[in-house]
Amino acid sequence: MGVSTGRSAPIARLSRRRFFGTAGVLALGVPLRGRPADTATVTLPFANGERPLVKYPQKRPLIRLTARPPQLETPFAVFNESLLTPNDAFFVRYHLTHAPPPPEWLQADRFRLAVSGTVRAPLTLSLEELKARFPPVETVAVLQCSGNSRGFFEPRVAGGQLGHGAMGCARWRGVRLADVLEAAGVEPGAAQVVFNGLDNPLMPATPDFIKAIEFDLATSPDLLLAFDMNGEALPWLNGYPLRLVVPGYYGTYWVKQVHEIRVVDAAFQGFWMNPGYRIPDDPCAAVAPGTTPKRTVPITRMNVRSFLTSLTDASTVRAGTPVPIRGIAFDGGHGIREVVVSDDGGRHWHAAELGPSLGDYAFREWTFSWTPPRTGRVTLMSRATNRLGQSQPLEPLWNPAGYMRNCVEPVTVTVA
Amino acid sequence: MNRLWVLGIAGLLTAQGWVTADPPVPVEPPRNPYAADEWKLPAAQPSVKAGPGAGLVIANCAQCHSLDYITTQPPLTRAQWTAGIEKMRGRFGATTPTNLVPNLADYLTSAYGKP
Repeated sequence: MGVSTGRSAPIARLSRRRFFGTAGVLALGVPLRGRPADTATVTLPFANGERPLVKYPQKRPLIRLTARPPQLETPFAVFNESLLTPNDAFFVRYHLTHAPPPPEWLQADRFRLAVSGTVRAPLTLSLEELKARFPPVETVAVLQCSGNSRGFFEPRVAGGQLGHGAMGCARWRGVRLADVLEAAGVEPGAAQVVFNGLDNPLMPATPDFIKAIEFDLATSPDLLLAFDMNGEALPWLNGYPLRLVVPGYYGTYWVKQVHEIRVVDAAFQGFWMNPGYRIPDDPCAAVAPGTTPKRTVPITRMNVRSFLTSLTDASTVRAGTPVPIRGIAFDGGHGIREVVVSDDGGRHWHAAELGPSLGDYAFREWTFSWTPPRTGRVTLMSRATNRLGQSQPLEPLWNPAGYMRNCVEPVTVTVA
Repeated sequence: MNRLWVLGIAGLLTAQGWVTADPPVPVEPPRNPYAADEWKLPAAQPSVKAGPGAGLVIANCAQCHSLDYITTQPPLTRAQWTAGIEKMRGRFGATTPTNLVPNLADYLTSAYGKP
């Protein structure tokens, strides 16, 4: 039944035990001891925010939210170093017990992408065949988790308690999804395209992580099946050897280790589309704090965000001396039109200068020469507006799943 | 003789990829970009606070996910912890029997809860 019902691949079961052999003790329900005493930690600025910094394959030490499946957050200072987030610092978010998929499933002689469903010519392609058959395309795009910044929700909500580090911007190289669908010859009446990756649940009744997008979106030239990230093969934990790239959309759709694509003629209703990853059916995706939305819809496109990255709450600057400050802004692909900065609680706003554009889906750098007006604790705010005129609220909005936080994020520095 | 020698050199150059007038192979050869030792995940796993019911939580929760899924949550009420357990049972196929739910909720509320 492929994507519509289920588990990832017939090849799946045999080597799982071997792969997880080192962690086999977990299956007995006796976890190993906690972190060694010398492990570095960071403390995210909300209650119960202490996290270990842990080294994973092809990664520098990252902020570990969970170990199995791995969820790793990028230390925020990385966003001040470059507009493209380095692969070894890029965040990681898996959903299912058997994730990431074991390396032996991902080798060139074994990995295949299958395209099926309401198509005239179903395809089965190796990675090499995919690269040979379709022209390569590159795009720079932000990948952001739906629940990025969930830890700042007030009242707090259950779920992955992330700081601001479940986002990143990379140059993705792959082939157009639209080209692959065209080669398969989509029949009239296609409604959605469904994607399954090689990650798998443990329990038979746990829903496999399968995502669907509208067919019209799938035929956009912006969507890629990507094999490279910032000029190198995808890291294992970011989807090696192939992942879906849906620029402008939240990361939940960017299926990693994607190996099944199925065209369907009715809306797919798997758990991870409904009730998973839903937002209030409201232009702001928000409800009154603590309440339940009457109607929900799938999360889709990212809202506008901006961050000051060059100063933190621990920074000290000198009164009266100009300080070059810098940050990033992005949205769901309409493009950033303006970033403004305030140092008086939002009474006055000053235009920041925008850096060169890497594309409407990318992080956009902004800079501003700030002269601290007085000594003491001073709060800085940045606020971005996109080409549709959409901006950021001064106060946080709330929804029960903790998605789509995009309010102005103040930074309070010491002026000496 | 001379001609053969020239052809031999040309063949060698082509084989080394130095002559690229008409590249016949547009596709990279299959290869694994990462060394064998780059495919190993850290083995150590987090645990939960000791206390009555900790073993029950380990036995019922740690099969599918590491225990930092619990320990990184904000302080939650007993109702919120119970809702979490029921979500695992109802949506995620956890086989935890109904009669254990109050015991699990007791431990979670006492170790990671708020009044």
